[in-house]
Formats: sequence, C-alpha cells, structure tokens
Amino acid sequence: MTEATQDFSDEQLAKARAGEAAALALLIRAHQRSVYSLALRMLGARDLAEDLTQDVFMQLNGNLKSIASNTHLVFWLRKVTTHRAIDQLRQRARMETTPLDDETPHLSTVDGGDPLLQRHLWRLLVNLSPPARAVLLLRYQEDLDPSDIARTLDMPVNTVKSHLKRSLETLRQEMPSPEPSRCEGNST
Amino acid sequence: MRSCSLGILFALLAASPAWAAPNPRLVLPEFSTLAQKATESVTITLDAALLAMAGRFLDGNDPQDAATKEILKGLQGIYVRSYTFDRDSAYHQADIDAVRNQLSAPGWSRLVETRSRKSQANVDIYLMVSNNQATGLALIASEPRQLTIVNIVGAIDLDKLHKLEGQFGVPKFDIDSPKAPPPNTKK
Amino acid sequence: MSEELESRLRAAFRPVAPSDEFTQNLIARVAADQRSPSNARGVRERSPKASAWWLSASMAASLLVAAGIQQHVQERRERERGLEARREVIEALRVTSQKLNLAYEVIKSQSSSPADDAPGV
Repeated sequence: MTEATQDFSDEQLAKARAGEAAALALLIRAHQRSVYSLALRMLGARDLAEDLTQDVFMQLNGNLKSIASNTHLVFWLRKVTTHRAIDQLRQRARMETTPLDDETPHLSTVDGGDPLLQRHLWRLLVNLSPPARAVLLLRYQEDLDPSDIARTLDMPVNTVKSHLKRSLETLRQEMPSPEPSRCEGNST
Repeated sequence: MRSCSLGILFALLAASPAWAAPNPRLVLPEFSTLAQKATESVTITLDAALLAMAGRFLDGNDPQDAATKEILKGLQGIYVRSYTFDRDSAYHQADIDAVRNQLSAPGWSRLVETRSRKSQANVDIYLMVSNNQATGLALIASEPRQLTIVNIVGAIDLDKLHKLEGQFGVPKFDIDSPKAPPPNTKK
Repeated sequence: MSEELESRLRAAFRPVAPSDEFTQNLIARVAADQRSPSNARGVRERSPKASAWWLSASMAASLLVAAGIQQHVQERRERERGLEARREVIEALRVTSQKLNLAYEVIKSQSSSPADDAPGV
C-alpha cells in the first residue's frame, strides 16, 4: 500500500460513501498525488493532468457507492486514470514532445534527484507508446508487479513484461551505467 | 458385399470429422516448463474473431497497416509461441516433438528446411495445401537462445506474404506455387 | 536487472503533488457536485411521499446513468481490445517475417559459401 492509503482508512471510506464532505476531502488529499502524477507523466502537461485528475475524482464521486474497500479504491483510481490518459493520448494521435529544459517538473526532484537520469527518463517516456508508458509508471511510480499491472491495464502479463524489458533496455542504452547491464530474468 | 462395405466406409469418412480434410491448426502445448525458464515469452493467440477485430483498427492509409490488412484477408488464425532464454540449450528438441509430430501428418509438406552450423539456427517451414491453395503455414525456428513456433491458418497468399518485404523485412521467396521442394533437399 | 537503476527509477517517479490551489478547487468542485440535486444524498428532510418519488426517480436516473456508463465502458473496452489485437497481429507478423528472414539468410549464405551451412532447400 502506498503512503497515501495508510492515511485513509476503510472507516473514512465508508463516511465518504455516506456523503460526509470532510471524509471526501480527506479521500481526495490521500489519493490525489498518485492520480495527478500518473496523469502528469502520461499526458506531459500540467493543465491536462489537472483536468484529468478532476475528471477522475468527479467520476469517482459518482461511483463511490460501488467502491467496496480502500484496495478497490486504489485499483479503481489507477485503472480509470491510466485508461483515460491512454484514450486521450490515442485521440491526440501523437503527443508533442515536451521541450527538454533544465526543469523536468514531471519527475521527482527530491533527494537531489539525478537531473541526467530525469532528462533521459522524460525522453524515454515521450517516445513510448501510451500503454508502454502506463506500464512503466505503474511499475516504478505505483510499485505494482506485472500481474497487477496487467489487471489494471487489461493487458496480457507477457505484454507487460515485454514493455518493461524494452523500456529498460532503451534506458540502459541511453544511460551510461557503472554496473554491467544484465537482465536477471526480471521480466519473467 | 464389397460395394456395401465400401459404401459404409465412405459414409464413415464423410460423417466423422476425424476423417475430414487435414486441420491446418496445430495443437500447441502449454509449454509451461519453457515459459518458466524463459526470460521473455511471447504468446499470441488470434482466432478469426480477433483477427477481424484487429482488422477494424488497421489504418488503410498507413503502408504497414495496409499490407497487414491484405495479409489478414482469408486468415482464420495466427498463433505464436516464442521463448527467449539467457543461456544456450535451455530447451530440448523433445520439447517441440509434440508439434513436429503433427507436421508429419498428411496434408503438411515441408517447404523449407535450413540448418546453419555457423549461427546454429534451424528453421523449418511447412505448408498445408488444399486445392492448390495454401491453407496453413507452420514455422519452427530453433536458435541457441530462442525457440519460436508460428502457425498461421487460412488462405495464405504467399504472394502477399512475399510483398511484405520491406514492411517487416520478409525475404523474397522464389516460390511459384506451393508444390513439393525441388531436388537436393535434405530430408 | 540493475537494482540500482530500479531504485533510481522509483526515486525519480515518486509521486508529485498538485498545487494547493488546485487541491482546494478540486475538493470544492466535488463537494458542490455532491450537493447538487442529482447527487443529493438525502441530507434534506423530505415527506415520505416525496422521498418515495425521489427514490424512484433517483433509481431510474441511476439506472440510465449506469447503462450509459456501462455502454461507454463496453465501447472503450472493445476499442482497447481491438487496438491490442492490432498490436498482436503486427507483432505476430513481425516475428514470422523475422524467422522467414532467418531462413532466407541461411539459404543465401549457403548459396555463396556452402561449407558453412547445411543445404536445406
């Protein structure tokens, strides 16, 4: 479970379902980082990410009664966010490459984040297909394993593993790494 | 009596599906053991319904999509199993015997058999022909670290497959018609 | 797989928060959506008859919305399956052509230097 879900209990979910405004606000605060970050890194623009985040929570608001638990809530948010983002990207056909400036605000800069890695990551992200991008984000932002990613994206597990493997190979090729680049069967 | 027996035999042949025209669809095993050992697995199972669905999403204006659409016409299924390993000889020829045995059944003809000592890659290509038309293709590619089995079912247009050259890197096949391989074939 | 690379990726992909202003606006919008008549949660008191009518109307509206959402979800799933099928077709043909090419290369090299490769055609 992510940090956010630990701050939001099943009891509070029940209150949110019952319409308590305070519980609903707490729900939004607990989960907006994950939804917003997924949206931002999928769509590449703050305004689009904010629109999508709002749409997702509005849709959630209309479907809260069908959310059975916090686990279900998290799954629902990830699924709806990624699917809607993929839909948007496909409709746009081609996402314009975000100019690579010194700030890549879509990636975390905490702990003195590696700016070189961030630039390569962002270049990798914009060149991935929408589903491949979603796979990478669900893996390394949401820390899901391939079978959970497959469930979230309605995608075969082997396809998830292929996406991960190819994305990481591309990244490794672009990034000089001190360690020998060898995949230890992690895609299995 | 003899004509009566023959009549019964023909009736049985007509009635029983087992005696019907050879089936170009191979029964592919689960290969669970191989999948566990593989670092990457590709499993594609596309029946007629899925192929039709895919066809609706192919863009006729895109050269690759248009070529693909042409190939799909008349196909009833595409089945791929491909396993990549991180070491040589991770699989055994016995693992694919269940597939090879099916290809020795009537109806299948081996079109191409290649053996490379240099790359240690073996590729066997089989065709099933009915009424002078290819109705099935099977390919087994055994490489040191990769095993690939492809089964395509349907009215394969070899000419169109040949014209995929440049789109997918398909080589030019000098095949006029799907008949028996010329002499000098190593059986 | 380099564990260091993976941990660097996780660090880089750590979730980022939207602006406080956005969060406040979002909470307000969702709350307003909740308070609107179509999303009324029965906070106001109503007469039993009005409640029954309201319940029926809400159920009917919910069913319509659910049906609409269902259809939308089904259409989207259909589209996703179609696009996935397209991708798989292309991948299948790519793999096939790759292996055909492999055979071709062997045949080609055999015709130029037969000692290296076994005759196969």
